[in-house]
Amino acid sequence: MSQNVQAQTAQTSQTTPSAKPAAAPTIAIRKSCNPDGIGLSHYVLMDTAKAK
Amino acid sequence: MNAAVLNRADDGPALIAVDIGHATYAALTDPRTAFWALVDKTLIADQIKAGALLDRYREKADDFARELHALRFELTPSGVYLNPTERCNLNCTYCYLPSEQRSGGSHMSEEKLIAALAKLRDYFRSVMPEERKPRAIFHGAEPLMNKAAVFAAIDAFADDFAFGVQTNGTLLDDEAVAFLTSRNVSIGLSLDGPLAEITDATRQTWGGKSVHDKVLAAMDKLKGYGSWSVITTCTTENLPYLTQMIELFHAKEVPTCMLNTLRCTQPGARGVKPADDAMAKAFFAAMDRSHELYRQTGRKLLVANFANILIGILAPTARRLMCDISPCGGGRAFFALAADGGLYPCSEFIGLPRFSGGNLFDSGGVDAALKSDAFRVVTTRDVDTFAPCSDCAIRHFCGSPCPAEAHEMNGGMDRIGAFCEFYKAQVNYALRLIADGKADDYLWDGWDESTETTFLMA
Repeated sequence: MSQNVQAQTAQTSQTTPSAKPAAAPTIAIRKSCNPDGIGLSHYVLMDTAKAK
Repeated sequence: MNAAVLNRADDGPALIAVDIGHATYAALTDPRTAFWALVDKTLIADQIKAGALLDRYREKADDFARELHALRFELTPSGVYLNPTERCNLNCTYCYLPSEQRSGGSHMSEEKLIAALAKLRDYFRSVMPEERKPRAIFHGAEPLMNKAAVFAAIDAFADDFAFGVQTNGTLLDDEAVAFLTSRNVSIGLSLDGPLAEITDATRQTWGGKSVHDKVLAAMDKLKGYGSWSVITTCTTENLPYLTQMIELFHAKEVPTCMLNTLRCTQPGARGVKPADDAMAKAFFAAMDRSHELYRQTGRKLLVANFANILIGILAPTARRLMCDISPCGGGRAFFALAADGGLYPCSEFIGLPRFSGGNLFDSGGVDAALKSDAFRVVTTRDVDTFAPCSDCAIRHFCGSPCPAEAHEMNGGMDRIGAFCEFYKAQVNYALRLIADGKADDYLWDGWDESTETTFLMA
């Protein structure tokens, strides 16, 4: 593995699993951004920052 | 999915109730805008007649409709899938490319590939903001069969494109890994089984040799690299082993994988097509296992095709994969270049000459292809306009992929794709995770950093 490879930010993350929230009578979430997805089922790139 | 229209006011948005199989919540959706809410089932009758949810949604419905319309009909391409060769050293059961091309086809010369990328660069500069790089993904057949041309092109256009390579991994030696990783090229591999005998059932050389161990070796070389993934194509041959695939990928520290349903565009694929209910059962067991491993280790293995379903629900415009939306991304978010210079809406169509939109080296180039009838029949495929999708509550979380297999397997663009019931089950599963507050566990950290919250009740 080259040095450049080791310098990359790995996507594998070390975080805490979500805690179960208290039940709410209604849950509705919508977020928005400028679309730029180009993936298809034969290829995927999930780190969106890479192509910017 | 049981869906019933509970409220369809003449002058306002309509919400449809969907049983998602959750103990507490049902979903209310307006499929026209991809709006959804999870509502306590004991309160659903009140919520649907009046109340804060409906009031607040009515304020936003037009905005959501415009947003979805822009996503579905107003994008310009920002990526290209390049096939630098017709040849492949493998003969996979379900490949969407004709076997005569893969066994005896032609390479694109280095000079022609360089010329193609120059034309593509000029096209993308004409439609994309200066601060964004288009993506160029070398794709198959097997792009590393024409490695010298591919690597020359990557170096020649390093400033112009963000590059990716989707490869079967068998030609990914130390030198190739060093070249690609030092240039931050995204790398995708393919592996269909946790054991050689499972992989061998669908992925072998033309001579019948196993490639399983070579792919594992390639995975070991990429360990620690930030931008790589592995695709497993789910078939009748490996369905019982999806949970073990997850365990293997997690152990190998794969950052991202996909557990894809196979595309049934070519007849050979249909012989190993799983039934929808069997696919759902195995897939959800694998997803559950991925979550267990996350809870045990604190390390996520992102299953990208399912993450994309979740994101399509939570933030429709933030989706990364453009298969699960109608019209799909083919011919509008991206297009494909065949080794002979032919332009197609997506690589999935390269074996179907009627879907060629012309040649990159013809005078009209990309612009002419995008306007061609061959592309238009794909870019106008709209689930709002044909049954049973037009009445489906989740049609804009699914998109009824894929147009190529709908056309070839089911007889037309106005037909469903190959895994309708599986998609419904996936959306229900995703909504149950949201109800239980677990959705972020299945998404990459920071997935919503560039998004704005436009609706929130919780």
